[in-house]
Amino acid sequence: MFTASRIWRTVGLVSAAATLMLLFGFLYAVRDVIYPGTENQQSYVMEDHAYAAPEQSSPLDVTVIGDSLAKGTGDDMGSGFAKRTVELLTKQGASSKLINNLGINGLTTKELLPMLDQHGVQYSLGQAGIILLSIGANDLFDGEEPLETRTELPTEAELEQSVKSASDNLIKILDKIRNINPQAQLVYVSLYNPFSDMKELKETGDQAVARWNGIAAEAMASIEGGLIVPTFDLFTLQAGRYLSGDHFHPNATGYQAIADRIVQGIAVKE
Amino acid sequence: MVKPLNNHNQMFSLIQNETIKMIKKKRFYVVLLVLLVLVPIFAYAQMKQAEDKRETYGTDWRREVQQAITDNQNSLGSDRVPEEWKKYRQIYIQQMKYYLEHDVNPAQPGGVSFTREFLDNASTLFIPLLIMCIGSDIVSSERTAGTVKMLLTRPVRRWKVLLSKLITLLMFVSLIVLSSFVICYLISGIFFGYKGFAFPVFTGFQLHGAEVDMSSVHAVSQWKYLLMQAGLIWFVGITVAVLSFMVSVLVRSTAASIVIMMAALIAGNILSNMAASWTSAKYLFMVNLGLTNYLAGTPAPIEGMNLGFSLAVLAVWAAASLFVSFLVFTKQDILN
Repeated sequence: MFTASRIWRTVGLVSAAATLMLLFGFLYAVRDVIYPGTENQQSYVMEDHAYAAPEQSSPLDVTVIGDSLAKGTGDDMGSGFAKRTVELLTKQGASSKLINNLGINGLTTKELLPMLDQHGVQYSLGQAGIILLSIGANDLFDGEEPLETRTELPTEAELEQSVKSASDNLIKILDKIRNINPQAQLVYVSLYNPFSDMKELKETGDQAVARWNGIAAEAMASIEGGLIVPTFDLFTLQAGRYLSGDHFHPNATGYQAIADRIVQGIAVKE
Repeated sequence: MVKPLNNHNQMFSLIQNETIKMIKKKRFYVVLLVLLVLVPIFAYAQMKQAEDKRETYGTDWRREVQQAITDNQNSLGSDRVPEEWKKYRQIYIQQMKYYLEHDVNPAQPGGVSFTREFLDNASTLFIPLLIMCIGSDIVSSERTAGTVKMLLTRPVRRWKVLLSKLITLLMFVSLIVLSSFVICYLISGIFFGYKGFAFPVFTGFQLHGAEVDMSSVHAVSQWKYLLMQAGLIWFVGITVAVLSFMVSVLVRSTAASIVIMMAALIAGNILSNMAASWTSAKYLFMVNLGLTNYLAGTPAPIEGMNLGFSLAVLAVWAAASLFVSFLVFTKQDILN
């Protein structure tokens, strides 16, 4: 069937053609990597753009943004209040999903501001019907370090200073989020004092958190569709029950309690 | 079949003879068969993974990319993540942000994208392995079978015999690289569709440590990207072919020469993952096989490597092994 000369002719021709093509590809690649930017920068066409179009989102879809609390650090189930909120809503029969969890451990108000300029962040905030925001704790308590290794606890004056500068940032953050998505319900999860079971820090901490929450409540009041969810009371007497092992973040029970409050507060429009 | 004609025709018919032997020995069919079996497995696995993702993110790739960025940002804060990984992730974050800014899906589903990704991963181990399968026994098999004596008793100079084998081997390198692309595209198309040739891919990310310089980033259509990728893989393939050719000349047994080459390739893969602090490892050919990384903008395994450097290292190794092959083959006694 395959005569020797036929094999030779086919293999010879195909391999010669392939070699030429691959050599061309090789030279092209070397030129492109070593002297990039000779191509027209914006010359690409979008094939199948319809495929890239966003999906229909429901008014109860959730995007969460902010610090480790938003992320859900300390929750052994890994859910955090965001996922628990979505679960509660779904249990009530509403159509809801978590669009993105944009929580980053240790995030401060100062770091959140530039994040809001990123395209991906704006996109997933824009898709949401409910935006959950948790920010500020790291500005006040300098966050993530475990208490045992801390050399100094924040003093009253330091806390006061942090509250001032961070609250300016908070107002800018709320403005920006509102501009990105004017329709969504914007839920701010206010702060608690994670040191309420420590004598030296209970009073100064409580004062700073109360000041902060006051400022946040005021800022949220001026925002349409804004909602502030209190958490302070949960941890005042029951820190042991709601705090996780690191003494800073809530545990699963704590996150569930916060999620319960969020769901109680938000408007479930049908 | 080979008649001593004039010089030119003699070489030509030697190559012809070697090509027919190669096809008759069915080595090339083995390579095709391996591709035909493995590619559907990978494509199926990839499809399952895509289905899982679709459950979480729907068809919305932007959410998926943004979540990948956030997850990587979180791992940057952890002290338990090695600095080396952090560098990779910082680069990844910056590139993904660039894709989002330009509203281009970095992993547009489709047969063409699958081919691109598969061959990026295959370029350092899988394709070299296929090439080795042909290269390692091209000389040694004649010895194992004893036919080398027959070859050399003909009125043909020894170097011509060897050269004809080398040229045949290089022809098959081109065929293997080409058929990897074609088979991969045809099979993955069944799973993901045959579209995506015109889809843009970004290339030209300049890496300076963990910083990515975006000034020379530009979009190329995916078919051009595939062409460039194929060219680079072809160059890697030629180097591997020439090296295994040398081993095949030096070592009497085919099995031994396959093992030697395989050990070298696998060592290269392991070294690439852990040799960041041993900088002189960059002169070894095996850590320089990832040429497509320079196209994709993934960091090279060792600081200070770039495309020019890797090409030079591979070229030097290839030239040296050609020199050794011809020197040994023309001088050595054929005993058995």
